[in-house]
Amino acid sequence: MSEPVPEQRDYRLSLTRRKRRSGLLSHRGEVILAPPVQAGTERPFKLVGLDAPRRGRESGHLEATIRERLFGYEQALAHPLSVTIVGGVVAGLIVTGALILALRRRISDDVYHAAFQRWRSWCWLVGVIFLPVLAGALPTMLAVMVLSLLCFREYARATGLFREKTICAVVALGILLVTFAAIDHWQDDRLFFALGPLVGALIVVVSIPSDRPRGFIQRVALGVLGFALLGFSLGYISNMANVVHLGGTGADYRPLVLLLITAVELNDMIAAVIGRTLGRRPFLPETSPQKTWAGAVGAVVITTALVAAAGGWLFSGTPVAHPGWLIGLGLLISVLGQLGDLTLSSIKRDVGVKDVGATLPGHGGLLDRFNGLVLVPPAVYHYLSLALGETGPLGSEAPFRILTGSWGG
Amino acid sequence: MDNWDLTPARDLELAGAERHRSYQRESGLLSNVTRFAWWSVVRISLAVLHRLEVHGRENLPESPSFVLVANHASHLDAMVLGATLPLRLRDQLFPLAAGDVFFHTPALAAFSATVLNALPVWRKKVGAHAIQQLRSRLTEEPSIYILFPEGGRTRDGSMRPFKSGIGMMTAGTNVPVVPCYLEGTFEAFPPETFIPRLHKVIVRIGRPRTFEHLDNRRPGWDEVSGLLEADVKALAENRSPSPNRPTSHWN
Repeated sequence: MSEPVPEQRDYRLSLTRRKRRSGLLSHRGEVILAPPVQAGTERPFKLVGLDAPRRGRESGHLEATIRERLFGYEQALAHPLSVTIVGGVVAGLIVTGALILALRRRISDDVYHAAFQRWRSWCWLVGVIFLPVLAGALPTMLAVMVLSLLCFREYARATGLFREKTICAVVALGILLVTFAAIDHWQDDRLFFALGPLVGALIVVVSIPSDRPRGFIQRVALGVLGFALLGFSLGYISNMANVVHLGGTGADYRPLVLLLITAVELNDMIAAVIGRTLGRRPFLPETSPQKTWAGAVGAVVITTALVAAAGGWLFSGTPVAHPGWLIGLGLLISVLGQLGDLTLSSIKRDVGVKDVGATLPGHGGLLDRFNGLVLVPPAVYHYLSLALGETGPLGSEAPFRILTGSWGG
Repeated sequence: MDNWDLTPARDLELAGAERHRSYQRESGLLSNVTRFAWWSVVRISLAVLHRLEVHGRENLPESPSFVLVANHASHLDAMVLGATLPLRLRDQLFPLAAGDVFFHTPALAAFSATVLNALPVWRKKVGAHAIQQLRSRLTEEPSIYILFPEGGRTRDGSMRPFKSGIGMMTAGTNVPVVPCYLEGTFEAFPPETFIPRLHKVIVRIGRPRTFEHLDNRRPGWDEVSGLLEADVKALAENRSPSPNRPTSHWN
């Protein structure tokens, strides 16, 4: 007698589980977000991969959530922390602008022009960074992609890697894939994480056929380092843009991403200001002669306090709201922010250039401005995922695989 | 193991139009891909629309550096000469273009630099320094120049005397200079028109010359331009001095 055939298990998530995991249903079964699409409010685009056969009355909710997340500019300033950060930064720009104008008579023309040029570059930067983040997840991801590509271009030109066209092409491809992975959002970010080792390996592999063993390690290492810092690491910001309910609170990705970027830039500025006014003992004179111990310590103290305060607000009601976790988050951002800065300083010293580019008048290249950001995003992502425990990893409440659907099982 | 050899781009500190106009310019992946697309389209359209015919391709030197000189009748000329070379040399190919036309505005400069890979020659004030930079680029790294020694497009179809700039770049060097004659480009795209006409274009490539034996001074420069002018005229009268060699390294 043949044994009874065991029932075939469907490993794909049932619609209810999918909706529960995508934050549409609470564990008790109530619908917790995504109002049904009202007639006339549909946006003129089609999501290609959503499970076609499963489309029905319920999947309307799913599509609405996805649209809301990708293009939901209505939610731009929904969280008070976003309002505070954007308001604070804009106010800061207005005040410094007014100050520069007010001091015009008392400072020399050169100082005035340098200060004004720098201020104008800051205005551009704030607009170019804040607007996509506020506009929605997709604009955020595309902005991060452009930032990654431009930063990599500067890195490649400064290190000489730009002469290796094949490696540059693979890194560029890697950056595009990272963006795709963030948009598509596989379960537990599997595709995103897979890209780290896979693109690294691809850089090694494509360097072989040119049959030039001389300088092989250098080329490959430059490519892998470039992708790791500027493609994969910055790509974590894209990935964070998938957050819909940060640890079950009402916040989406916006306050988190704004906090992250603002804290890193502020950290950099505090270190420079304190370091130049109070600092005497150089920190790492060979790497970066301008940096002092006072600046480094001062930035750690102030940034940690600010991040802990903002974090306490953002994460209230989650496990991260514990002072220990909050101070840890602040330390992580401040210390890694400064180390990122020093990473780029080391690269520049090694190559023997002062700035990696001339894109931003008064600042140098884009990378000279964003160097603090290259180490922070992955650490913050994994730290928060760990700290949030049950509700982590970050973004796991958002709909999955919105482009690939159930392709590939 | 050797020390690490990190050489930043020579134009790292330049931005925008300043970078595009610089002789120090170095290009990367984006221009490489753009030029691939550009030259592919140019080659196909020249073959289809102008039934391009190339004679004497075997006279082209095997590898850079070298200079292509020709008579100048239209904006098609540099494209025709560029299309005779293999696509893989596209990043080493620098047409020398009039600065007052091709690099006038920042947008034009960006196009000329990124797509055409052109280097500017400022006709009203060709400085000795600029020529010296062009000369050293030619000798120090593999590059191919396309140069029209007449100094501008002919307005009536007849060839004008060659200027001595080509001599200032090549006299006393071992860089081969290849004389070419372009036929039909004046009819296909005369200076005062805006859209090329469907006219057949023929390019005759002559034997390369080197000017190692000449002094890098005025008499040497004039001799270079005189010899090349005579070569191009000979090609024009179809007295091509190039015998057909059986082996060709371009195929």
